[in-house]
Amino acid sequence: MTDERDPKVSRRYRELGAEEPPTGLDAGILAASRRAVKTRLAPLVPPTGRRRWYFPVAAAAIITLAVAVTVHVERQQLDPGFSGLRSEPPEAKKDSAPQAELRKAKPAKPPATPQPLSRAADAVQERGSADARPESRVRSAAQAPARLLGQVAKADSPEAALERIAELRRQGKHDEADKALAEFRRRYPDYRIAEEMLKKVERP
Amino acid sequence: MEAPDEQLMLAYRDGNAAAFETLYLRHRGRLFRFVLRSVKSRATAEELFQEIWMRVIEARERYAPQARFTTWLYTIAHHRMVDHWRRRGLSLVELDEQDPPGDSPDPARQLEAREALARFAQALEALPVAQREAFLLHEEAGLSIAEIAAATGSNAEAAKSRLRYAVAKLKAAVQDD
Repeated sequence: MTDERDPKVSRRYRELGAEEPPTGLDAGILAASRRAVKTRLAPLVPPTGRRRWYFPVAAAAIITLAVAVTVHVERQQLDPGFSGLRSEPPEAKKDSAPQAELRKAKPAKPPATPQPLSRAADAVQERGSADARPESRVRSAAQAPARLLGQVAKADSPEAALERIAELRRQGKHDEADKALAEFRRRYPDYRIAEEMLKKVERP
Repeated sequence: MEAPDEQLMLAYRDGNAAAFETLYLRHRGRLFRFVLRSVKSRATAEELFQEIWMRVIEARERYAPQARFTTWLYTIAHHRMVDHWRRRGLSLVELDEQDPPGDSPDPARQLEAREALARFAQALEALPVAQREAFLLHEEAGLSIAEIAAATGSNAEAAKSRLRYAVAKLKAAVQDD
């Protein structure tokens, strides 16, 4: 730093005194400084133009999406197609799994027999957990009919699934019962079927 | 070791009120004298002094340590002073009554010292605003030529020239004693 000071001038300047601000002024300024950090400043430039409506529109879009998803889930819960034992149409084999599910979710297709709400809900819940497993989703997309039968097994406990297969046998739907049993064995490889139940679910 | 001014200002910017207090206590005296000797009215000086610190508080979120805090502080002070001088039409106000310090019990010498100090004060007051400001920034605030130039928005040559003129005039006032 270049010092342009002259010693005599500096000394005389110091003799002018060392005035200081009054303590009241100090207190006021320090209080203002404390208040300032407690309340953050508003933005210097308020949002204008596109930014003015950006946030309300974004919020509305999120709410709309949330409502749509909720309605969709509720419809799925009431759709018995997920727990039915009907075979899917052949074109379903060509669809991806989500497309097939969407088509089945359409309310235009009435259920053959009304399903108990609790069982349908169980089916949705079970399907949700299965969707969380990517390998399961890929496999079911490749085998659409087996997937439907698999949902039976997934929808219920092993015992309930076996009861359903036994019911198919009693109705004479042996092909469907065979597929369902195969799927059952795939899904519960370590489940030991009781002897009495085995007679009911296996092809006579 | 004391925290540097810039670090304290950054801490205050981030919400540390105690950092501002340290900073304020470190600079209050020098800044007040700079303002007081620029306007020579205590009431006006107090008003300006408060406004300068309020601007510091308001500007905290934009603070970035690109230069010394002192340079930043006196830049704010300079802008506030320019506003003040513009309103006053660059007129100088009356010199306040001063009680100069003196150890001599001799009333004649006391009077002589008092008169010498008054002449110096008058010489300081008589300086053109830009020269007085340059002198006060150098002598009171401790700014270098480059920092004076930065704080006053001028170039180094102009700042140096102003300071030299100011010191030469004040020196002449001292040598008249």
